[in-house]
Amino acid sequence: MFLTKIWFFLIALALAVAVTFAVIAPRPIVQKLSVLEGQRLDRAQYAAEQMFKVDAHKWIDRVGKLGRDAIIAESLDAASRGSGESTVIHRTIQDRFRTLIPDLASGGIDVIAAVDNKGRVIARVGENDKEYGDFIGGAELIADALRGYLSDDVWGIGGKLQRVAAAPVLSKGRDRIVGAIYVGAETGSALVERLKKNLDVDVALLLKGKVIASSRAPGEVDALPELIAQHTNEIETVKRTPPLSLTVGQGKLLAVAAPFPGQAGEQQAYYALIGAQPASTSFVSLIGGTTSEDLKPKNFPWVELGAGVFLMIAIGLALQRLEVEAPIRRLRRELQKLASGDAQKIHDSKYRAHFGGLARDVNAALERFTHAPAARSEMAGKDLGAILGPSGGSTFDLPSSDSAFAAGTPAFAPPPAPAFAPPPASPGLSGPPPGALAPPPLPSFSPAPAPSFPPPTPFSASAFSATPLGGSSSSNGDAKESAAAGGGAAAVRMPWSSLPAAALDDAERQTDQEATRVVPYDPEEEEEAHYRNIFDDFMDKKRECGESTAGLTRDKFMQKLRDNKAALIEKHNCRTVRFSVYVKDGKAALKATPIRE
Amino acid sequence: MKLRTVFGIAALLLVALSFGPRARAGTVKGLVKLPEGAKSTRLFQGYWRLENGNVAVQNSGGAKAETVVVLDNLKGKAPSARTVTIELGGLDARPRLVVVGPGSVLEIKNTGKVRHELSTPNTPQLMQVESLPPGGVRRQKFDAVGGYVIRDSEYPHIMISVLVCDNPYFAALDEKGAFSIAGVPEGKAVLKVWTHGHWAAEQEIDTASKDELVVKVAAPHSKSEDKEGKEGE
Repeated sequence: MFLTKIWFFLIALALAVAVTFAVIAPRPIVQKLSVLEGQRLDRAQYAAEQMFKVDAHKWIDRVGKLGRDAIIAESLDAASRGSGESTVIHRTIQDRFRTLIPDLASGGIDVIAAVDNKGRVIARVGENDKEYGDFIGGAELIADALRGYLSDDVWGIGGKLQRVAAAPVLSKGRDRIVGAIYVGAETGSALVERLKKNLDVDVALLLKGKVIASSRAPGEVDALPELIAQHTNEIETVKRTPPLSLTVGQGKLLAVAAPFPGQAGEQQAYYALIGAQPASTSFVSLIGGTTSEDLKPKNFPWVELGAGVFLMIAIGLALQRLEVEAPIRRLRRELQKLASGDAQKIHDSKYRAHFGGLARDVNAALERFTHAPAARSEMAGKDLGAILGPSGGSTFDLPSSDSAFAAGTPAFAPPPAPAFAPPPASPGLSGPPPGALAPPPLPSFSPAPAPSFPPPTPFSASAFSATPLGGSSSSNGDAKESAAAGGGAAAVRMPWSSLPAAALDDAERQTDQEATRVVPYDPEEEEEAHYRNIFDDFMDKKRECGESTAGLTRDKFMQKLRDNKAALIEKHNCRTVRFSVYVKDGKAALKATPIRE
Repeated sequence: MKLRTVFGIAALLLVALSFGPRARAGTVKGLVKLPEGAKSTRLFQGYWRLENGNVAVQNSGGAKAETVVVLDNLKGKAPSARTVTIELGGLDARPRLVVVGPGSVLEIKNTGKVRHELSTPNTPQLMQVESLPPGGVRRQKFDAVGGYVIRDSEYPHIMISVLVCDNPYFAALDEKGAFSIAGVPEGKAVLKVWTHGHWAAEQEIDTASKDELVVKVAAPHSKSEDKEGKEGE
């Protein structure tokens, strides 16, 4: 059992480790996934930044090309010098813009404007293309262009973001700045879609603490501005936030936000790249995400798992067989040998642990019930007549040699008795052959269930039939009277003394089963139990033989046995008497066995 | 007669020296070294700023002109309270920086075609965000000494600096970053540099010293550089 226990312990340990792993493992996995997702967003943010940078340069190049257009340059030169009709110049430049860029929308352009060297708008196409004449030279981008710089900026005006680029327009002789052109690119949902397509992440644009465009569903990232506002220090230092966790319904999002450059950066203008985060770290949620593809043999080690389980079961069964079943078989074989008389005791040293204890208990029980095997066996199997002798009064019939009470048949039979020297028997008595000497039935320490009796009727002494020893016809004399007389020469044959052998076997089995019980030894209690068993057996035998049990009560029966016992003890000077039930001539009969020691 | 005259003049001089002001007035000169970013004419940069390659670029004006050196902890007559008008037009404010005495009133006129949302974000109790429509005027009195910034939330590059001083010892930088403050009484003073809407540097000086001061201004948003700048003083 030791190895089996160890094996069960190891399995329990392995199971505990597996459960612990199943419970704990998702957390670092989710953390790792979050880190990886954060890194992916970081890379996406870097890519987005580069994209914006390239875009800005592209816009600068475009606007620079526009500035080199001769018609635009001459028109702006005229406007700056104040020569020419402003309306004509306005239309000329507008037409030129439309000629050079026929489809603004496809180029993602919101507005193109030309300003003179004072910062006054001469012409616009796109937004507000009918307005002109206003001054925008105060805008840093325009002022820079009029200083000679090509630059870009991001504006946040009217709740919209606009990426803008401007370039100076040089005179025909390229010796002075005659104006500037700026282009404004729409920075809203179109940019969001483009970023999402290129970077494979969700995107949100924020301005002044509000989400102005997002590829997520409306309302999902409303908490983002407040979240970003909590990380302004990181934004100032590293120009972006760490991955921010955002709860959206049942799920979680990760977002990395970075500020737009230029003056929009002063207006809390950010672009946020959003990725999904594993929502839950629980084992169940991870299992819930398992697909059938994950369970296919190429992805899941079914063979190894099955082999492992099979191996565990096989080892467990082998250990159980080694430590439980094999000792039980051996013990049973030994018990069978013991029962058949081939062995005197169980070799308890061959058994370990509980089986060893069991074997020792069996041996101890055998020792206790046999006490002095020689003295006991000396008296064993004697019929009452033989014990009482010619003048011994009543006796009972001896069982047949093939009875269950024949020597060696009980499961816990004592070792074979030495040659028994029966006391001298009267010539008239037919004693049993020596080989038929049977040990007394083992006491039952647990009374058998009380038989269901018919309503008690007054005991009739005539129910006992005294049978003279030697097969003489039984008289109608009362067994009680015979036993009480103690000196009756005739053997007493009880009328119920014919029980079927099967019933006897049952009783024997029951006795055998109960014989392994170890209880404190109390002679009187044991004798009472013995009498009750005899009564029960006797009743059973009578019923099996078809005899009437009317009037036969337990108390009277047991009193009768006590009287008989007293008579036998007095006659033979023995310590006690054991009774047994058997069937003789189709009737239940009792047998008494004096015990000297 | 001549002797009497000479003695008389000597006596007057003696009296004058005995009862006249003891502090001498001097000039504090120096150079303010601004960080590279602060030298720009722009407050806010985009990704790119390229020269055109044909015409020389101009590097004057703009945000670069918004730097002032102020001497603090000196007694002197404060600039008188007055009303200063600032025009908002063409997406710009003119002037962008004013130095006034306590009790002065700033009158902001919107001469442009767009609406402006003006406020003093650093001292919100002074000017809360208020929309100034085209043609509108907004007035604000400045009583307390200090530096104030009026911002336009719609056009962040519009930044009006208002310095309220209790003495007349201040000066703007020239193109090279040099400054000169004349008539400064001898004594200990604190030199402060205001640029791009904030006090960028501060250092204690002895106005009696005739050494030319060099004040290094750290780049904004960099505390470590701030420290370096002070140590370099």
